[in-house]
Amino acid sequence: MKQYISQLGIFGHEPLFGSILPVGQINLPDEDRFREMFHGIFQRRYYTNHGMLAVELEDSLCRLFGTRNALVMTNATICLSLICKALGLPTGGKVIVPAFTFAATVQALTWAGLEPVFCDVDPASHCLTGDLVASLANGEGVCAILGVHLWGNACDVSGLQHVAAEYGLKIFFDAAHAIGCTLDGEPIGGFGACEAFSFHATKILNSAEGGCVSTNNDELAEKLRNLRSSYGRRERVETSIDGYGRFSEAQAALGLISLEDFPKNCESNRKKIKLYSEGLASVPGIRILSPTPREMHNYQYMVLEIEESTFGLSRDELVHVLKAENIHARRYFVPGMHRCVPYNKQFPQFVEALPITDSLCSKVMQLPSGQRVTEEHIGDICLLLRFIQEHAAAIKGIL
Amino acid sequence: MPKTTLDDCALWGGAKLFGEPKPTSGLHRPSEDRFFAYAQSIFSSRQLTNNGPLVRQLETRLAAMHGTKRCVTFCSGFMALLITVHTVALPGRSEVVMPSATYRRMADIVRWAGLTPCFTDIDERTMGVDAAQYRQRVTDDTALLLGVHPIVKMSDVTGLEALSCETGVPLIFDSVEAAYGTIGGKTIGSFAQAEVFSMHASKFINGFEGGYVTTDDEDLASKIKRVEAFGFKAQDVISELGCNAKLNEVHAAMSLACLDEIEEQIGHNRNIFDCYEKALKGLPLDLVHYDTSEKRTWKNIVVRLQDGWVFSRDELLMILQSENILARPYYSPPLHIKDGVVVSLPVTEAVTASSCVLPSGAHVSETDVADIATFLHFVHAHRKTIKARLVQGTLA
Repeated sequence: MKQYISQLGIFGHEPLFGSILPVGQINLPDEDRFREMFHGIFQRRYYTNHGMLAVELEDSLCRLFGTRNALVMTNATICLSLICKALGLPTGGKVIVPAFTFAATVQALTWAGLEPVFCDVDPASHCLTGDLVASLANGEGVCAILGVHLWGNACDVSGLQHVAAEYGLKIFFDAAHAIGCTLDGEPIGGFGACEAFSFHATKILNSAEGGCVSTNNDELAEKLRNLRSSYGRRERVETSIDGYGRFSEAQAALGLISLEDFPKNCESNRKKIKLYSEGLASVPGIRILSPTPREMHNYQYMVLEIEESTFGLSRDELVHVLKAENIHARRYFVPGMHRCVPYNKQFPQFVEALPITDSLCSKVMQLPSGQRVTEEHIGDICLLLRFIQEHAAAIKGIL
Repeated sequence: MPKTTLDDCALWGGAKLFGEPKPTSGLHRPSEDRFFAYAQSIFSSRQLTNNGPLVRQLETRLAAMHGTKRCVTFCSGFMALLITVHTVALPGRSEVVMPSATYRRMADIVRWAGLTPCFTDIDERTMGVDAAQYRQRVTDDTALLLGVHPIVKMSDVTGLEALSCETGVPLIFDSVEAAYGTIGGKTIGSFAQAEVFSMHASKFINGFEGGYVTTDDEDLASKIKRVEAFGFKAQDVISELGCNAKLNEVHAAMSLACLDEIEEQIGHNRNIFDCYEKALKGLPLDLVHYDTSEKRTWKNIVVRLQDGWVFSRDELLMILQSENILARPYYSPPLHIKDGVVVSLPVTEAVTASSCVLPSGAHVSETDVADIATFLHFVHAHRKTIKARLVQGTLA
């Protein structure tokens, strides 16, 4: 461990870790299990078009979500765009959405011919609330609310549903982070018209790339099946446009292996989050965004807010210092979607309208997590963060 | 079992000619060892997606195969087309000139890009797009010329390149069915602003799912590469509207394994084509021929029903499909009819109504072709009685 600030990587000293510790789960499958599953695919010679592994994965996901339907698709961005068409949201319609989210949430709306109405978020949960959404729900052309369960913590579902009901809006959720999480004990997956999950490699359940839509609405599910492909649909249903969201047997194989590993990976994540939380508890200027208590959680993200005035360094300075130690912490979300092209040009009214989002965008970061990060790594990272905070003034002076 | 009486036909209670369906799809199965050798990289690089080493290797090899500076891979041919149309189309204009006899989602791809399809007729001789027809359709509102190669012959790409040059309207090609081919010795993939291919399991390169674009335009390739990954120019820097259309590393491993075996696949296709050519002789079914002076995959078996063939295209498909011969209609219904667009496209309507695609690819052997052809000869020999039964069945 470092004893003098001159030993920091940023001042030319060797990094704390010999290899890079990234953000994101990147949980690789067991190699033998991988070979076994792919051998089966080659034996069957069935490669895509809603094969038996895709069907098996969908059945397992229905059980996990407790929903009547789970539809696997190419990726979560495509899920969100196809949902907009399945819900019949009109071209040019407006959708209330947070700007404090990953780019995909908003970009998926744009490809579906919709406009975002950016809503600020709650500073504690980082998510939309009914009160925040209510002030925008009466706007001309608003047709839907897209809530995001950021970091696996449910947004204010009942508040949002209340507003949706009052104004006659459709409501659906970006649950990319939230597989295996609950709200009041109910699995995320069954809320709103439908919910979209991500199986990207950085997620706890991964199929390399992939995603899934869960819903209890059979009619909506059938529209989505038709939009995805003619394979796997149960009946032919007219939609305003055709789409493409097929999920291969290779993706399904990876998804099934990952689902087998899911309880083990959740438990491993839970231990790591606990270690981080204990190790950072008394460090001034660090706020840990904890998983919602008394709920099931996947614990896949270690999210911090850095308060520059008390920590002594800005979030960006800290990320810079950590990177030189091979700790590839990441800033979230930079920039906020309201300040991103093309939205900052198309909808300039939002650029200065989201103070909480702007504040979070300047102080939120994630620490490394997932398979590559060991409990020893976490101990060292916590000690290092404490060391950096204690010497923040000196470090800042040299920076 | 060869059929001897009408009651041996599956339509009338006989056993199906094939126990397993015989598709028109490529479905090439690469050597498992080869696939696992490529896939090993996933475990060493710990990268499953996001422009990993296998995707980069695949893009380099595909660019070399097509003789272009760049190749960008995608999660599907659909997304490859959508992003290419979106990126290349002239801003501020709304129409895309395209054929109606093509991939059934093509018009909707154009609509996902916020543009309007403008359908043109095809060339009777090639069954492909016709530069003269495109010329008539170009207006001040034309954003893009979207050419498509038909599934056996080649479209007049040089005619369209000249039109693009003259009008300043960019040209891209959907060349999935022409992959590997040449025109005047120049490789498909190296024409137009960009050419787009699918790597769906049914196509020339089986990547489970996937697609790619080839181009000599470095700026265009870089832009497309950004658009398919959320528009990121660098970490935390988004430079334009993007989405997610990335190819993952497992699909890339599969594509690379298949790419190693293309000559083997083409050898098989050629044998199958030759078998059809011999075995269909004497039937009023016109097998559409490949140009033997150029490189071709020889994969697709298209027949056009001639005078003297008494069955309609749909009757033929019904008879064949009942026997597990999964023959398919040729781009039918064409898109203008599917979408209810009123436009006169007589050649498109005639060609699509009278053509069908017969089984080929990895699941079809030379013996299968002989059995299919024997069955077609049987159907033709008993045409009067079969037709009578079909008519009765229809009336009943």
